[in-house]
Amino acid sequence: MKTIRLTVSLMCLISSLAFAKLKIVTTTQDMAALAREVGGDRIDILPITKGYQDPHFVDAKPSYLLKLRSADLLIVVGRELEVGWLPPLLTNARNSRILPGGPGFLDASEGCDVLQKPAGQIDRSMGDIHPFGNPHYWLDPENGRIIARNIARKLSEIDPDPQKTYEENLRRFESALDEKETQWKALAAPLRGMAAITYHNSLPNFAKAFGIRIVNHVEPKPGVPPSPVHMQELITQIRKEKIPVLLIEPYFDDRLPMKIAHQTGAKMLVFPPSVGGVEGVNTYFELFDYDLKLLKSALGEKP
Amino acid sequence: MQFILVLLFSLLVSGGAFAQDAGSTSGALQSSNLLNPNISAIGWLQVEAGRRHPGPAEAGESGNAIQMREVELSLQAVVDTLARADLFVAIDEDDVELEEGYLTWFRLPWNLALKAGKFKANFGRFNRIHTPETPFADRPLVQQNYFGSEGLEGPGASVSWQAPIPWFFMNLDLETLQAPEAAENPSFDRPKSKNLLGVGRLNAYQDLTEAWNLTLGGSAAFGPSSQEFDAVTGSSHTHHSQLYGADLTLRWKNPRRAVYRSFLWSTEALWSNRDEPGGMTTDSHGLFSYIDYQFARRWHTGFRYDYTQFPADGSTHEEGHLAYVTFTPSEFSLVSLQGRHVKRPDGTDEHLGFLKVTFNIGPHGAHPF
Repeated sequence: MKTIRLTVSLMCLISSLAFAKLKIVTTTQDMAALAREVGGDRIDILPITKGYQDPHFVDAKPSYLLKLRSADLLIVVGRELEVGWLPPLLTNARNSRILPGGPGFLDASEGCDVLQKPAGQIDRSMGDIHPFGNPHYWLDPENGRIIARNIARKLSEIDPDPQKTYEENLRRFESALDEKETQWKALAAPLRGMAAITYHNSLPNFAKAFGIRIVNHVEPKPGVPPSPVHMQELITQIRKEKIPVLLIEPYFDDRLPMKIAHQTGAKMLVFPPSVGGVEGVNTYFELFDYDLKLLKSALGEKP
Repeated sequence: MQFILVLLFSLLVSGGAFAQDAGSTSGALQSSNLLNPNISAIGWLQVEAGRRHPGPAEAGESGNAIQMREVELSLQAVVDTLARADLFVAIDEDDVELEEGYLTWFRLPWNLALKAGKFKANFGRFNRIHTPETPFADRPLVQQNYFGSEGLEGPGASVSWQAPIPWFFMNLDLETLQAPEAAENPSFDRPKSKNLLGVGRLNAYQDLTEAWNLTLGGSAAFGPSSQEFDAVTGSSHTHHSQLYGADLTLRWKNPRRAVYRSFLWSTEALWSNRDEPGGMTTDSHGLFSYIDYQFARRWHTGFRYDYTQFPADGSTHEEGHLAYVTFTPSEFSLVSLQGRHVKRPDGTDEHLGFLKVTFNIGPHGAHPF
């Protein structure tokens, strides 16, 4: 009897281990959304930051260590987006798997089209400049495809799957992305050439993908709050060039942009650059659906 | 001292040489440059107004009207596949001192990490923060009276263990350090060069909501404080000090507006029990408590209350208040206007005003949360 019980317990343990889900930690909800597309129900995902948070300014809270300590894979946006808070977390996480260079570390930007890589000498008089290029690269759907491929490759490495679930999920995601890109292209057709001002320099990839012209920013330099002189310059520019929209990330104070919009007649839109940035945007596809419809509605067109 | 200067100079020269070569020569040199440590410097200029009536801990301070208090040079890098190193060198107008320099092995099993070198002891939360990086122009009075101007520090080793609880963060640190001399640290004194100091800290952290969180900690330190000679037998007996600390830090920051508003309340209390010659003991205590409120993207204001007795005298105390308004043009510099009032044990009132200016160049890493 004892032997039977022992055998049953052992089998239960083995089967639970065999079906234990991989624990994936991502630094942002965007990476989590793409990992979910590829990993499906073989993985559990824990994003560290929320889409409504500024990913540059995050406190390295010890509760994040609890997520990182037991992670099988850490997916980072990279390009120094997380440089202000991730390094001390990694040093204290007591998990050598997920350290840079380890089997459970993935910099999702590998192979992506990263824009605005500074050439020549840089210093902090340029503001919070990223020496390895603008890290908001996930806002180009083609980069989303590359990120998903990176994740699928990494998941297959750390969790060889005879059923090829990750490959199959990737294939399904890419095919859905193809379809979506056709829809988005049609949706964005009237937006081509439209001028816009953003609060932070977070939309160059989005602008390139959909033909929008970002002509200035509310921040005079990345991370630097606007001065009265810069505000006046923006007001003059908007009036002169008839710029129709000001796009504000959800984590910035909208009082100054509202004032500019009020004085110029431009529309101020709270524009989420990330999954989870506003309610109802829970997947990578929903992010582009939402943002493009928002821009179209600002132009007075039916989405 | 000269050795440290020569070492720093060599590192800077080699760093600079690699940086110059990287743009024009081979890839081998470029990769060498990538492996250089991160080099950062924090400068701390202070302007002081008012007449000093210094207590024992501040007696050695010059009180000059304008003083370049310190430049802290830091070199930080991963050493090999197992460890990283952090060096902090404090340079002031008279001295160059290795403030901290330690190796951390952080790829160990069982949630362990080991540290060896010279470092600030994990006693309370504040002790580990370098003065230029605190919100204040000085260190809290209790810290000065019990740990001296530099805090409780020394060469030694430490083991840190995180409890394997998936929903709750708890950390235990056990450290052994070379016991300091009384001139460095009023709570302890090493009669023999082999005397050691033991320090332990247990701290726990919990998110209360998405915006609020709480850190609680308890600390203890045990080490020699003096030596008594028996002239009759010719023997000696070492007396000890025991320190116990409790700290609480409550923070608020709405992640949706993280760059604009934040609040922190931190309190640390300390109790000391010190053996004295003749079988007597001295019991004393002290505390400080402060709030820091960020009311705009670039502005903070705060208030600190100090109450402290002295390690060798539990019958008198001093009490102080400090208030400040700080402007931070960016994460890398600040200008802070501060006013401090201290009532000294002899009843005199000291009123001082400070202008603290700090700047940070290079990629100096984040400090403990």
